[in-house]
Amino acid sequence: MLKKKWLLFFVFMLSVGFVLAACNEDDSSKEEGNKTQAEGGDDGASGEPQKGGTITGAMDTAPAGVFNPIFYEEAYEANILDFTHESLVSQNKELEFEPHLAKEWEINEDQTEITLKLEEGVKWHDGEEFTADDVVFTYKAISTHGYIEAGGIRSSEFAERLLGYEEFSKGETDEFEGVVAEDDYTVTFKFTEPNVTILKDVSFSIIPEHIFGEVPIDEMPEHPATLNPGEVIGTGPFKFTEMLEREQYVLEKHADYWKQEPYLDKIVWRVVDQSVMLGLLESEEIDFIADPSGVPAPDYETVSGLEHVEIIEQPDFGYQLMGFKINHRTDADVEAGKIEPDNWVPNEDMSEQKVRQAMAYAIDRNALVDNLLYGHGSVINAPIAQQFWAYDEEAATKYEFDPEKAKSLLDEAGYKDTNDDGFRETPDGKEWVVNLNYPTGNKLREDSAPILEKFLEDVGINIDLRQPKEMTAYQEELEKDNSDWDLYLLGWSLGSGDPDPVGLWNAGAPYNYSRWNNEESEKLLKEAVKTPEAFEQEYRAKKYSEWQSVFSEDLPALLLYAQNKIYAHNKRLNGVNPMPYSYNNEPENWWVSD
Amino acid sequence: MYKYIIRRILIFIPMLFALTIIVFGLAQLAPGDALSGKSLADPNVDPEIYEQQREALGLNDPIHVQYWNWISSAAQGDFGNSLIFNGRSVMELIEARFANTLYLGLFSLAITIIVAIPIGIYSAKKPYSLLDYGATGFGFLGLAIPNFFFGLIAIYVLSINLGWFPSQGTLSSPGVSGFAAFTDRIHHMVLPGITLGLAGTATYMRYMRSEVLDVLGSDYIRTAKAKGMSERNVLYKHTLRNALIPIITLMGFEIGVLLSGAVITEQVFQYPGLGTLFLSSVMNRDFPVVMAIALILGILILIGNLIADILYSIVDPRIRYD
Repeated sequence: MLKKKWLLFFVFMLSVGFVLAACNEDDSSKEEGNKTQAEGGDDGASGEPQKGGTITGAMDTAPAGVFNPIFYEEAYEANILDFTHESLVSQNKELEFEPHLAKEWEINEDQTEITLKLEEGVKWHDGEEFTADDVVFTYKAISTHGYIEAGGIRSSEFAERLLGYEEFSKGETDEFEGVVAEDDYTVTFKFTEPNVTILKDVSFSIIPEHIFGEVPIDEMPEHPATLNPGEVIGTGPFKFTEMLEREQYVLEKHADYWKQEPYLDKIVWRVVDQSVMLGLLESEEIDFIADPSGVPAPDYETVSGLEHVEIIEQPDFGYQLMGFKINHRTDADVEAGKIEPDNWVPNEDMSEQKVRQAMAYAIDRNALVDNLLYGHGSVINAPIAQQFWAYDEEAATKYEFDPEKAKSLLDEAGYKDTNDDGFRETPDGKEWVVNLNYPTGNKLREDSAPILEKFLEDVGINIDLRQPKEMTAYQEELEKDNSDWDLYLLGWSLGSGDPDPVGLWNAGAPYNYSRWNNEESEKLLKEAVKTPEAFEQEYRAKKYSEWQSVFSEDLPALLLYAQNKIYAHNKRLNGVNPMPYSYNNEPENWWVSD
Repeated sequence: MYKYIIRRILIFIPMLFALTIIVFGLAQLAPGDALSGKSLADPNVDPEIYEQQREALGLNDPIHVQYWNWISSAAQGDFGNSLIFNGRSVMELIEARFANTLYLGLFSLAITIIVAIPIGIYSAKKPYSLLDYGATGFGFLGLAIPNFFFGLIAIYVLSINLGWFPSQGTLSSPGVSGFAAFTDRIHHMVLPGITLGLAGTATYMRYMRSEVLDVLGSDYIRTAKAKGMSERNVLYKHTLRNALIPIITLMGFEIGVLLSGAVITEQVFQYPGLGTLFLSSVMNRDFPVVMAIALILGILILIGNLIADILYSIVDPRIRYD
């Protein structure tokens, strides 16, 4: 009796719940399977692009849900926005800037102004015309007073150098001189100083003025046109039309796309746990695995064994490093949040260049690449992405694995084993223990820590391998470097816009966690962007070569490896042509062959 | 009875207050904040920007000011905005996920009860039978296998290899609606529901078995049997009612347990419920969301216990609350 009542009760509760849920669902009662759509067009010979079809991509984490180029922060949103929004210029495989929404441009003599002619007849997803006013509006928005407070982070990257940014962003004036619409299809950007990264600065994605024009900046992140599918408006080849939040994100073709009508009808992103992603690729439930994480290196073999899957492998923008805490900030500076290289206190032992070099020789980085990355990566010697014209392998000291040399360098520096315990003592005869700190979160990096410990102990350095810390806690201590840290592990993903390493490695840069202060380096970094010479790429390349030689000689950090990105897609997907920085390139040319 | 319920509800208030202080205090003790993780993700962004945002969000305010700001708006049902999902209010985020988790929780509880109680009764009726041994074995297995592991195996076997059930999410595509959406939802809940209910099933089965055995051995049952009452009546009229009492207490706690157990299960099945939201918020130091969920869980557990107490009084006439 009682049991029956209970059962009835639960069945009832469940039903009520589900009926309510069903009522809430969107009423566009289109039913369709996961994958295939009716395929229009002819069956034609393979090789000829066909119209129609749906493909499904997988990402391992759901986007936070902010589909607005001026407010999004994560690579997961980029996977939607790459298809829906466009910028004036784009980059090619050599990372040179090419026309996109702007068909041509002119830069004035001293590189303080750029005037761009826009493509005519470009339509926003809602049918409105794209004009120069949209460009002005976008740059005005990221320069507006309150933009940062509302959660925006793009101003330092794209707007800071514009004429009048200071006054406008502080709200001292309503006039923004930095970007001016000359007519409907001509726009001029004006900069305070001659600008060597002028094309990178104008490469920000454009948002529509007719949608956001009247919206106060602090309300923009909550605006429906930022959050809701169907209301997100861009000029890109695909429109963001539907979603099941945190599960599926549906992009539909923008038939009026200005370049050409896209071949595919739909691109669906599914959020799939990393652990089952390969299984779904194998069972053809998903068609591609791309940015941001790609296929993990250990799974390369499995995936390459799949008949119906094609793999694309290319170097990633970024690197992992083992940094040396050369200097520490004073307590007072940390308290005040100041970065004053003049006040820094050298970190004993780590500030000795020979010790750093010895450690570099002691570590077999090729072994890391072979064993941790299964060969899917490379050893780099300078902190500039290898894809850039600025990267110069030849200029840098290479630090081939050479334990003997490491030992002799340590001997030279006075670090010898005086009490025969197998570990070296400091030059003044004290016990020498070097601590190595590392964060959790990146499996490969975690795995590399004990390997590094082993290599260093092999040449007689006593390593205190600290308990790994969770990233947020780790970063806090890394930043407040008045602590006792010696070695730290970290990874950077770099931008593809410009190779300038100043933000990471000049003495005053907050991200220069080694607190590296080298006169020669400071001088070269400044010279590399000094106008007018720096308008010539060759001149910059030369300066960066010299800088890389200084960096690798003085060695504020040992670069461990640069990982490769491994993309995989079903062979039925054609026309894929990834750029060095992203898989999501020209999706209007993608088509399916079955 | 009503007096009792009102008294219980009044006790909520100081308990809730204590809960807010604990939750807020723990959040403050954790190193770093939502913005400190962000700057390592993108070195192209000047860290100064995050400092400005921190100031604007009031993260630099003294702790008592922050607590007051939080608690005073929370009292009006406003938990502020998420720091990670820019611009989304915490309540909106929770509302969107809460229903999903509730369905999953109820579904797995239903599975648990439907499976565990009959088997538990049967094993007690026929102890040391083949089925009893089988159930005992299954019970230990169910308790021993971690949720995520069982989930992964279920996905590989039942979803990827056999293709019987979907492996992820709540619906197969955004367009589904009406009755199709209802069945689609159930279809999607089978695997996570079983995974989530596995440990619970094992526990309940063991409890049920020992309770029924206990009652069957008591004097009054022997008396009833001696008076010639049928086996069936003894079991269903007298034994079950008494054996269910501890099970109901267990279920009171179960609401909280289900929601917290859901964290891992939801992650494996990428089922967008409170569990995944909670996990990602903790990882990202998104404290407004963490605190709100912790509070809601706390309230739910309190309510669960209240319901258990009320049900107690229904099944056990000896209990009176006046």
